[in-house]
Amino acid sequence: MPNLWRITAFILLCTLARLMWLIFQSRGTKNRHVPRHRQASDTCSLAVFLGSGGHTSEALSLLSSLDFNRYTPRKYVVSEGDILSAEKAVSLETSKATSASSRPGTDYNILVIPRARRVHQSLFMTPPTALRSLLACVFHVSIAPLISSGPGSSSFADVLILNGPGTCFVLCIAVYLNRFLGRPSPRLIYVESFARVKSLSLSGKLLRPFVDRFLVQWSQINKGECRGWLV
Amino acid sequence: MLVFVTVGSTKFDALIQAVLSADVLQCLQAKGYTSLVVQCGNSRTDEPVPNEGKTKMRREGVDIELWKFKPSLEEEYENADLIVSHAGSGTILDVLRRDKPLIVVPNPTLLDNHQQELARALSEQSYLLRSSVDPSELSQVIRDLVPSELRKFPAMDGSRFRQILDEEMGFL
Repeated sequence: MPNLWRITAFILLCTLARLMWLIFQSRGTKNRHVPRHRQASDTCSLAVFLGSGGHTSEALSLLSSLDFNRYTPRKYVVSEGDILSAEKAVSLETSKATSASSRPGTDYNILVIPRARRVHQSLFMTPPTALRSLLACVFHVSIAPLISSGPGSSSFADVLILNGPGTCFVLCIAVYLNRFLGRPSPRLIYVESFARVKSLSLSGKLLRPFVDRFLVQWSQINKGECRGWLV
Repeated sequence: MLVFVTVGSTKFDALIQAVLSADVLQCLQAKGYTSLVVQCGNSRTDEPVPNEGKTKMRREGVDIELWKFKPSLEEEYENADLIVSHAGSGTILDVLRRDKPLIVVPNPTLLDNHQQELARALSEQSYLLRSSVDPSELSQVIRDLVPSELRKFPAMDGSRFRQILDEEMGFL
């Protein structure tokens, strides 16, 4: 029996060390990994979480500035029942397709995940729904890329853009599972809302240690990187 | 001239009460704002407002329309000469990008005071005016409003985020 404890403790320690290493690697701007150089003609797959309301508006506004011929294909992750966000994503795609030369309607899809926590849901009932949400994220981020075939489908995305709310943390956990296993994982970019002038939001505080780039839009915050207003 | 008031997607009783107060209405009338359209959301109002359609009335020489929800706020922003709104960041961006004069009234009952911070930061830079829900303060802000003195809000600079992402993904 003592051996079993020792083995368990050893495994836990290794797990913790690996996790710390992954978090350490993702942090800071000085020791950050040097990005793989891409040619101007290369493409890069992108995923974005649309957290409804103001989160969705800001996320789509960020995306609208990108070259969709370069950042392709795109995945929009929305919460179950958030029809408005899905509609807004489709309308951005439509407007981009008519304004640029990209093939319309073919190079994006919308993924739906169960909500981690519904509004007014009691704290007591959160763990089961959060678990369901996490499993859905793990499926999309880790398992689906393994079973699907075709060019570029061996990974979830090259980059994942997050801007809250807290639900997007489960996506972040799924990405870390891939990193933990040494599987391809997207770069994680978090953009704090334009509405946060002096302090971080809860999701910002939660995700800051884990993401590769943490952007804020007001220099007064003093945490993360600020290049002015992005939306 | 037309004033559009919006409380966003929830409710904000104090703002509705303030804009419909005799003080504020007289002030609007004196400045030439004789039409007022109010999107009340689920706020409490003295006059009942139908779920679909509007309630019309005339007070202090101002023609007033009360709506619960308007299908398209964009159209209202476009038609209005002045907008009075809660301090939600989405509304603020939508209105300022249309170069419309904006008075924001942060909701004091919200637990998180980051709306106050955003309103203060933007009013310090003269992009908009800010008021409390107190009718006499709101009247004063309307009286002092000179739209041409407000600073023009910059257009969205998409190159910033594009550059950050291109950098991160190794294109630069």
